Amino acid sequence: MDIRRFVFYLNSRPLDPFYIMDRSIIHLNIADFAVAVERVVDRRLQGRPLIVAPDGSARAMVYDMSEEAYQCGVHKNMTLHNARRLCRDALILPPRPDRYERVMQALFKQALPYSPLVEAGDADGHLFVDITGTSRLFGPPIDVAWRLRRQVKADLGLDPIWSVASNKLVAKVATRLVKPTGEYVVGTGDEAGFLSPLPVWLVPGIEQDDLNRLREFNFTRVSQVTSLSLEHLRVPFGSRARFVYETVRGIDPSPVLPVGRQRPVVISDHDFDEDTNTQAVLEGALYRMTEKAGRRLRRQRRAARRIIVALDYSDGLRCVRQSAVKPATANDLMLFKAARKALNLARSRRLRIRHMRLTCDRLIFPPAQMALFPEERRDKEKQDSIVAAIDRIRSRFGQSGIQIGWTLVA
Amino acid sequence: MPKDAHTRPTSKYACSIRVGTSGYSYAEWLDAGFYPPGTKPGQMLQLYAQRFSVIELNYTWYQMPRAPAIERMGRLVPPGFHFAAKLTRYLTHEIDADQWRVHAAQYRDGIAPLIQSGQLAAVLVQFPPTFQRTPKNRQYLAALLDELHGLRTAVEFRHASWATDRVYVELERRGTALVSVDAPDLKGLFPRLNIVTSPDLFYIRFHGRNARGWRSGNMQKQFNYDYTEKELRERTEEKIEQMAGQSRNGLLFFNNHVRAQAPGNALAMIRQLAEQGLI
Repeated sequence: MDIRRFVFYLNSRPLDPFYIMDRSIIHLNIADFAVAVERVVDRRLQGRPLIVAPDGSARAMVYDMSEEAYQCGVHKNMTLHNARRLCRDALILPPRPDRYERVMQALFKQALPYSPLVEAGDADGHLFVDITGTSRLFGPPIDVAWRLRRQVKADLGLDPIWSVASNKLVAKVATRLVKPTGEYVVGTGDEAGFLSPLPVWLVPGIEQDDLNRLREFNFTRVSQVTSLSLEHLRVPFGSRARFVYETVRGIDPSPVLPVGRQRPVVISDHDFDEDTNTQAVLEGALYRMTEKAGRRLRRQRRAARRIIVALDYSDGLRCVRQSAVKPATANDLMLFKAARKALNLARSRRLRIRHMRLTCDRLIFPPAQMALFPEERRDKEKQDSIVAAIDRIRSRFGQSGIQIGWTLVA
Repeated sequence: MPKDAHTRPTSKYACSIRVGTSGYSYAEWLDAGFYPPGTKPGQMLQLYAQRFSVIELNYTWYQMPRAPAIERMGRLVPPGFHFAAKLTRYLTHEIDADQWRVHAAQYRDGIAPLIQSGQLAAVLVQFPPTFQRTPKNRQYLAALLDELHGLRTAVEFRHASWATDRVYVELERRGTALVSVDAPDLKGLFPRLNIVTSPDLFYIRFHGRNARGWRSGNMQKQFNYDYTEKELRERTEEKIEQMAGQSRNGLLFFNNHVRAQAPGNALAMIRQLAEQGLI
C-alpha cells in the first residue's frame, strides 16, 4: 500500500467506537461547601444562619454562607460588616481551607470504586465521574449516581446535589439549577433543549466579557444566542465564536481527567505567624517556598513553565496572579525571578497577607537544548552549579546548613 | 408479538392486560440486541413502543418528574401507549416528615401531562424492605394514599409484615391495587400472592428469582434472572387467569433488566397470554 492510499485508509475508517460512545457523566455538587463541612463537624450548626469569613478584620469579606444567610441577602465577597447588618443572628466562622481539602479527598475516594475517571474541583465540593460503559457492571448511570450520593451522605454526612448528563458542561448547569438540594438528569440528545430557556450567565464558559457583548445585542437567554449562526457569532466574538456556538448548544467534548493524569503541579504553602505586608518578609518567605518547590521539581526531573502566586489577605479575599517561566526551569534563582513578578502583581492591595501559596505548573521534562550564546550559557551553568552545590550541602548538613541572604530577613 | 399490541385488547374476562418492562433506557439492551446497533438513548422509547403497549417509568423514582419532559415523552409514543410511573423516592424511601406533602404535590404536577392525555396507567408506590408494618408507617401510608387520591395507585411492599388481611381490606376499601410481587423465596420478603384488592386494576411485577443476588446490593446481580417458559406458564395458568377474572385492567412488568432478559420474558409472556385467550 503506498503512503497516499494508506493515509486515505486512515481517514476513511470508522471512528474508534469508544470515542463516539454516548458518555454518562455524574456531577456531584455540594452546595455551600464550606458551610456543609462545618456542619458535619458540628451538628449544632444545622438550621441556623452561618457565614464563613475571617473575623477580627475591619474589611473582612464573606467566603461562603449558608442557605439561611443567603435568603437574608448575604452573598460571597460581600464585606462582613454588610453581611452582619443583613443577617444579624448569623454565626461567623473562620475559613478552614485545609479542612475543606481533606473532605474533598474523602469525596474523591468515594467515587473511585466506580470509575478511574474522577475529576475534583479545587476544594469547592465539585466532582465529575465518567461512568461511560460501566452499566453492565454497576447498573444504569442514574442508579450509580443515586448510590454514590447515598454513600456520600452515609459516610461523610454531606448531601450532594447530583446530575447525570452526557458531558461536563450540561452536568454542571443541571446541578446549578436545582440548588440547594435535589437532582437532575438530562437525557442524551436533550442538551440543547435543556439549555435553551435558561439565562446565558448560568452556562459555564460564557464569561463576563461574552455576557457584556451579548447584552449589547439585548441577548440574555440561551435561546436567543442559539438563534444566531456561526457566521453571525463571528462578528462580535471572532475566533471565540465556535466555542460560544457549541457551548450554548450543550456541546462539550472535554474529557473527565483520569486519576493520576491530572495536571502535575508542585505546590508550596506558607502561613505567616503574623499577618504582614512587609516586602522583605514576603520575599523571604517566597524564596523559601521557591527553594522547596524547586527541590521537588529537581527530584522529579521536571521543569516548570508557569508560576502562580496566590495571596490570602487578612480580610479573606484571595488574589491569584501568574507569570510565565521562559525557558522552563527547575533552578531556584530563575524560578524566584518569575515568582517575585507574580507576587508583585498579586500584591495589589494595601492589606496585610495571611497566607501565600506558590504553584509551579505546566511541568515538562527539561529541554535538552542549550543556550546559543556563550555568555547566556555561562550564566545558566553558573546558576545551576550554585543550586547543585546548595543541594549537596543541604543533603549532608540539613536544610539550615546553608541559607540565602533573602531568607534571613523573614 | 400480537398485531394488536396498541389497541385495547379484549380477553375472555373483559380484562385489558398490558405487559411491559420496568424502564427502557438500558445501554446493555443494545449489546443484547433488543435495540438495533447504533440506537441513541433518545430513540429508545419509540423503538420500545413499537413492541410493547405499556412502560413502567423507573426514573420518576430517582428524579422528581418535570412536566415539560414528561409531556415530550408522551408525544413520542403512538396513541394507546400507556405509562405507569413509579412514585418518587422522597415519598417511599427518603421520607422527610416536614416536606413530604410538598413532594407529593410536586410529583402530581410533574406527571400531570400524562393524566391529562389519559396515558397514565397507574402510579406505583414501592416501599423498601425496611418499611415495616409499624403504627407510624401505617399512618404514613394512609396519609400518603389520601394525598394521592384520584390517581390510580398500586402499592408494592417488600416486607412480609404487610401480608395480613387487614392490609388487604383497607386497600380494597380505598380501591388501591396490591402489587403481586414475583421475587425469590427469601425469609422476610413479601410473599408471592395473587390477591386482587381493586376491581379496576391488578398489577404484577416480575423481579426475577435470583436468591443469591437479591441482597447483594448490586442491581446487576439482584435482577439477573431469566424466567423459563415453564415458570411463566405456571404464573399465567395459576394466577393471572384468576386475577383477570376479578379486575378490569391488568399491568404486568418485568424488572429483570440485566442482559435484556426483561423484554425477552415480556414478549414470551404476551405470547402465552395470547395463546390462552387472555389478551
